[in-house]
Amino acid sequence: MTGDDRQADVTGDDRQADVVGDDAEADVTGDDRNAERMAAGGFAVCVVAALALALVYRRGGQPQLEGALLAVALGGLGFGLVTWARRVLPHQEEFEDRETLPTTDEERRQVHDTVGADEVIARRPLLIRMLGAAVGALGVAALFPIRSLGPHPGNTLERTPWERGRRLVNAEGHPVRAADIPLDGLVTVFPEGEVGSSDGQAVLIRVGRGLIKAVPAREDWAPEGLIAFSKVCTHAGCPVGLYQADVHQLLCPCHQSAFDVLRAAQPVFGPAARPLPQLPLNIDAEGFLTAGGDFSAPVGPAWWARR
Amino acid sequence: MTPRRPARRPPAVLLVAPLLVVLATPLLGGHRSAGAQSEAASGAEAGGQVEAEQTYLADCASCHGADGRGTNRGPTLVSVGKASTYYYLSTGRMPIEEPNAKIDRADPAYSPELIEALVEYVDGFGGGGPDLPHLAPEEADLGKGGRVYRAQCASCHTTAGGGGALLRQEAPPVYHATPAETAAAIRVGPGTMPAFGEAALTDEELNDVVAYVEYLSSPQDRGGQPLWHLGPLIEGLVGWVVGMGLLVLLALWIGKPT
Repeated sequence: MTGDDRQADVTGDDRQADVVGDDAEADVTGDDRNAERMAAGGFAVCVVAALALALVYRRGGQPQLEGALLAVALGGLGFGLVTWARRVLPHQEEFEDRETLPTTDEERRQVHDTVGADEVIARRPLLIRMLGAAVGALGVAALFPIRSLGPHPGNTLERTPWERGRRLVNAEGHPVRAADIPLDGLVTVFPEGEVGSSDGQAVLIRVGRGLIKAVPAREDWAPEGLIAFSKVCTHAGCPVGLYQADVHQLLCPCHQSAFDVLRAAQPVFGPAARPLPQLPLNIDAEGFLTAGGDFSAPVGPAWWARR
Repeated sequence: MTPRRPARRPPAVLLVAPLLVVLATPLLGGHRSAGAQSEAASGAEAGGQVEAEQTYLADCASCHGADGRGTNRGPTLVSVGKASTYYYLSTGRMPIEEPNAKIDRADPAYSPELIEALVEYVDGFGGGGPDLPHLAPEEADLGKGGRVYRAQCASCHTTAGGGGALLRQEAPPVYHATPAETAAAIRVGPGTMPAFGEAALTDEELNDVVAYVEYLSSPQDRGGQPLWHLGPLIEGLVGWVVGMGLLVLLALWIGKPT
């Protein structure tokens, strides 16, 4: 390439640069300022919502509120980015002919002057900082759940509040009397003093005498045909609250696992692989039902150490 | 045992029975509590009990036995409780044509007076079992009833009361039963349904939940459009169509060239 060609290129580039500079100048003065404020506002909303999310989580959590705040935070972030991309960044396509190497000192000086002084490059710190703050706030909010990974559960997965002699109470907290349960009767029971206990909840059923096929070591667990099982499905932990009295089957509403009440709640249908843990029962001197101990097995679905 | 429905029985009775039911239906309304029925029965006892015995021997005894102790075609009626007899007769689930017929709700086969007499007659086989619950709609607490319903009934009959699927069986909708029938069903546990005794809910809670079941027939949907109470499937469908539609519009806005 000759010196004249290079000279022509440089003038061409200059013209191009002037055009870009004029456009940017025009944008900066008018609409572009508003767009930049809108994008920054979106990031600011993200910051506020993310910090509020972290606060709500820290104070015990409320799923709907947390979800709404996360939606607002991500929405603000997205709004800011989209506004930035669509309205702040220039959209005209730029062309630059391939240059000879190396660039001349004159060109270097021009580039240095342009880049070093031009507001187009220098005016972005607000958006960059706001974007950093938004992403940083979201990151901080995401750090809080890490606390929830501890402490180690120990053996709490293997035991429930049930213990020998503890009375069975219904959802209202009233002790359950054996005489108050009719044939084919169904009551959801809890350990006394633990109404609402998620791992202690059990279904208490009365079946006809002599129908139960007792498994070894459980012969006296079902006095008067009263039999109780954990209400937590061994498949996915749903409440097994549906009892089909005529076929003596407990049915889980989530995935239709069925358990045969007469045969120690062995699964007879559906995805559950393990029987519902059985609660040993006694009837005390006043006619109230008491537990004879904890469940026959850990309640609920499998976990990492149990299959 | 004799055949269940003798051939000499005039078919005209079958035609008249529904008419009687239609005429008597207003009498079955809420103002007439189930507890008052035994008093009414005592007044017409002399004639009613004779008719009840004849009806029992003609329509029930072939399966349940003349002494009510059951046969290989039907279960015993001894000590089933007045509520049980009342429920099965009042909802038309008994009598059935033959022992293996599907037991479904139908128009009752007998007049309310005859049903009362039959309830007394069957109770004579041996007392005990759940009695007809006493209801007091004006004292019911809908809120408490709703909590009881959601805790103990909704798992099978669904939250809105439309009934639901079980394993090879189904739970019927709760809308058709009268308050007295609902209360009796809860205490009796007919068919697939388990019985709910005093341990499951007190008489007061029973009164509340029966009122709530009545309310479910025409609920006030304060949450807005209930989508015909068709349940989560329909709500999910609407959520997908409307929600996804909005998201598509949003995507179009983001991708729109300037």
